[in-house]
Amino acid sequence: MHIGDPAAQGPAPRHPASPQPASPRPGAARVGIGGPVGSGKTALLEQLIPRFIARGTRLAVITNDLVTREDAERVQRSGLIDPERVMAVETGACPHTAIREDPTLNIQAADELEAKFDPLDLVLIESGGDNLASTFSLDLVDYWLFVIDTAGGDDIPRKGGLGVVQCDLLVINKIDLAPYVRVDVQRMIREGSHARSGRPLLLTNCHSGEGVDAVVERIAADVPFDR
Amino acid sequence: MIHSEAMYTSLSNGTLLRIDHIIGMATDAAVAEALHRLEHAGIVEYLTLSETDTQRHHLRAITDRGTECVLRLPRSQKLSDGAVVFLDQTRAVVVRMARRKWLVLEADDVPRALEVGYFAGNMHWKVAFGGSRLRIALQGPVEIYLGRLAHLMADGRVRRIEEAP
Repeated sequence: MHIGDPAAQGPAPRHPASPQPASPRPGAARVGIGGPVGSGKTALLEQLIPRFIARGTRLAVITNDLVTREDAERVQRSGLIDPERVMAVETGACPHTAIREDPTLNIQAADELEAKFDPLDLVLIESGGDNLASTFSLDLVDYWLFVIDTAGGDDIPRKGGLGVVQCDLLVINKIDLAPYVRVDVQRMIREGSHARSGRPLLLTNCHSGEGVDAVVERIAADVPFDR
Repeated sequence: MIHSEAMYTSLSNGTLLRIDHIIGMATDAAVAEALHRLEHAGIVEYLTLSETDTQRHHLRAITDRGTECVLRLPRSQKLSDGAVVFLDQTRAVVVRMARRKWLVLEADDVPRALEVGYFAGNMHWKVAFGGSRLRIALQGPVEIYLGRLAHLMADGRVRRIEEAP
């Protein structure tokens, strides 16, 4: 099946051994956003939401908090997205347990949002703030970002925490603060790239929005969804 | 506004396949027969994926013949070695799982072996046990793992073993 223009050409006849697709339309892509406390995960989310909506992406959001709904309420109050499309998951324990060891609560929330707002293209799932060993289960997401920030220290990428090494996209946020906390951003890039064997790393200032367009482009390039 | 067609533009300007379900396994009788015919015609392509990528449901990947694949699978299906994701009269695409890289360790004594095992678990590393050896699945540069293990390897009671591929 050569698809020069996917809109113009229907699929080639399937082989007799090929059953019909299990679903007429694939579900939404699910993208995780993890990282340490205070690194700017919610700020990044607030910058991503209007950019995806402007692209026409049919979006929903899940936020994870330890014992409150604060992040969800912050996003719901932001006016950036229909508040009904934002769900809170209270983990009640170490946040990584709800995105890695047993992501059932988040899977249920994503399923619920997909059913309620069908069709959805993308569900963004923000983890609660955690440590450098925090990772997402790919049972929950198709792709995940790990957000660190310059104010956390320029030794963070070099330390090679699981989140830094394994995420699909490492985001170094608060680049505007680097001079004030005497951090060498170039060193963070160099050592982060080594720790990640050259896999993607992007810089942002989620206060101003600098660098966020590149994050959107990267997600859209790596994760297929309708629009 | 960018519409779906734009999102599926081939990155390489070559052939692009949209895959929305797993047809079956290469060993399934009906699929195997069809594959056998296509193999004779030389039109079976292989999509080599890392173990990590086989866990995803939305991903892009390129076959050994340069065909770009956009996979968006139902969450009830899971990619695995031998999964056939495309099959028609002109082409088949079969998933192959890439060989995993391991750091293999051997300890001189039980107390140190326990320490290494505890440490690996505490680091959330994926491991496999084989005889007296502990295998750590590498998900980044081996130097990072060796750096973390340095305090346990410094006195020589834990050694790295090079195994033949």
